[in-house]
Amino acid sequence: MKQDVEPTFFGNLLGEGFAFRKEIMSLISRSSDAASLGAAADGLYSRQSVGFEILKKFSTKTATVAAFDLQMRFVRRDNFHEVLNDVEGANRSGWFLEYHNFYLDFYNVFNPLLGDKARSSNVGRFNLRVGRFYLPFGLNLQTDTHGPVLQLSNERNFGFERDWYAGFWGSINPHLNYDMYYLLGSGYNAAFNGQSGLLGTRVSLSNKYLNEYGLEGGLAFMTGQRLSQHALERSPSVMMAAAGGEVINTMRYGADMRWRHLVPTGSITLTAELSAGRDESDKVITQLYQADYLTVNRKFGASVQYRQFNQGIQGTPAPMSRMDWNGGRTDASIIGELSWYFRNDLGNSNLHWIKLNVERKTEAIQGRQDTILTLQYYHYW
Amino acid sequence: MKHIALLLPMLLLLLLPARTFAAIGCTLSNPAQDLKYLYPEMTTYKEELRQLDQMKNGADLFKKLRARLGSDLDPVYESYETPYTVYSIFKGSDLIGIVHGVNVPGKGGVIQVFISAEPGSGEIKSFFFQRIESPAAKALKKKDFREQFNGLTLADFYKHDYFAVAEPTSDKDKVGRIAAPDVGEAGKQDYQASLRGLRKNLVLLDMFVFGLKYEAYYQRSQESLAKSKAK
Repeated sequence: MKQDVEPTFFGNLLGEGFAFRKEIMSLISRSSDAASLGAAADGLYSRQSVGFEILKKFSTKTATVAAFDLQMRFVRRDNFHEVLNDVEGANRSGWFLEYHNFYLDFYNVFNPLLGDKARSSNVGRFNLRVGRFYLPFGLNLQTDTHGPVLQLSNERNFGFERDWYAGFWGSINPHLNYDMYYLLGSGYNAAFNGQSGLLGTRVSLSNKYLNEYGLEGGLAFMTGQRLSQHALERSPSVMMAAAGGEVINTMRYGADMRWRHLVPTGSITLTAELSAGRDESDKVITQLYQADYLTVNRKFGASVQYRQFNQGIQGTPAPMSRMDWNGGRTDASIIGELSWYFRNDLGNSNLHWIKLNVERKTEAIQGRQDTILTLQYYHYW
Repeated sequence: MKHIALLLPMLLLLLLPARTFAAIGCTLSNPAQDLKYLYPEMTTYKEELRQLDQMKNGADLFKKLRARLGSDLDPVYESYETPYTVYSIFKGSDLIGIVHGVNVPGKGGVIQVFISAEPGSGEIKSFFFQRIESPAAKALKKKDFREQFNGLTLADFYKHDYFAVAEPTSDKDKVGRIAAPDVGEAGKQDYQASLRGLRKNLVLLDMFVFGLKYEAYYQRSQESLAKSKAK
């Protein structure tokens, strides 16, 4: 039974395998610290946006060979202060056109070089990704953090949660998947400012464990050089090592896990992301723990998260191998969130919610302790 | 002014109709791995999206779906705009299998029912759950329960409609002879939802892939049932 698709170029492009989704986000947030410092509008931050996502899959007669994804938002910000899902907005006052995902996936890229037997034994093993997407570190690659207020730890750990990269992903065997990429290490803008970039790898449990046991998890490693203004500003030794530039020698080891478990009235999900490593000679340790509850009808949710970023900030640069530990300085927050879902589809294909999020910054390397109250309306369809 | 010029097109984009993923689809979470497990000899696979509202006679097919399931459709998981993904599996250039999944609402949450089918006959090669949120999950996922469905077609489900009423002890009722797993009282609803999901999967595959080849069985079964009731 055929579908009504015109056999024209645009008909093919916009027909089979094409998805177009729209997005509205309205967020207002109040920072007690900003209010006490006499910020405009009594510390009230407004962030409004409209956006879209395009996803297209390309197929031959016998194979789906590639996919393209583009997410963009047009954002209006007034009286910015840092909110969990909008750290990048610090320098984007007023109107700003943002891109988020922008990548191409090529599936089974070695197939043209392989015979049928080799193709058969390597199905799903060598897929190439080029473009901008989540860092291959922690749970971010398997978590859509585009809409929610509550975020994972990469933004705080590296200064960005997405980067420009190229590399391979796929399955190693029925139990394990892998991701291995070269990343520019520049975050939002694709830029070379003297950094060599990052090598990022992650080995994770296959989806079989998610479906059978509700379990996800992985081990990750990231090393190389990146650009991060935040990392420079918070540490004198990192600043001095960068010697007037922005390049930061970086190394991280990470472990992550998420477990979803049914309870009589819904489900509980427990999440943990841990990482250790260094920025220049500063030792860095990141911890994130989160618990989520979702009612069985997927209409109401509650979450609590504790996150801590600890850095052994040193006064002067030392060799990167030096691991002096002085207890360090810490950013820590405890966050609570309530969600009311009008739509909360599996696979995030149709989302519509209101969230109330409260972040209490209990420790801060820069700035002061703060309480940030955020109300978000989000619709993605 | 520059910003207004950017904002206007973005606002206009919001007016465009959403495509494909406007409702809940059911896709394999790791197709390459899952399909390779089902078809070890495969070399490639192709994903094709199917959506009733974009098909010729889609509204008519949607009505037929409801009638052939014999129950109301869930507004969240079974809407007219729900997208479905059909996976065609190839060995070289030969089509060796079809895989398709559906979501059905269960007591404890969603149940994702997948089947792999023979491309010529539409016979079930295997039936499995990708996701099942249910107290009966363990029992329903047992191989010896699921394997009872291997070799059945949509015709067997349509025939069962007649046999269940008119000849409940008939040996010809292949679906009626399926031994239910021990799911307890708490799991009965999800057992029924799983059977309904399996039937829905076959009905949709008949529409998407097999050109309604089993429609005659449905008609015949309904006619026989009507005659039987009239006696």
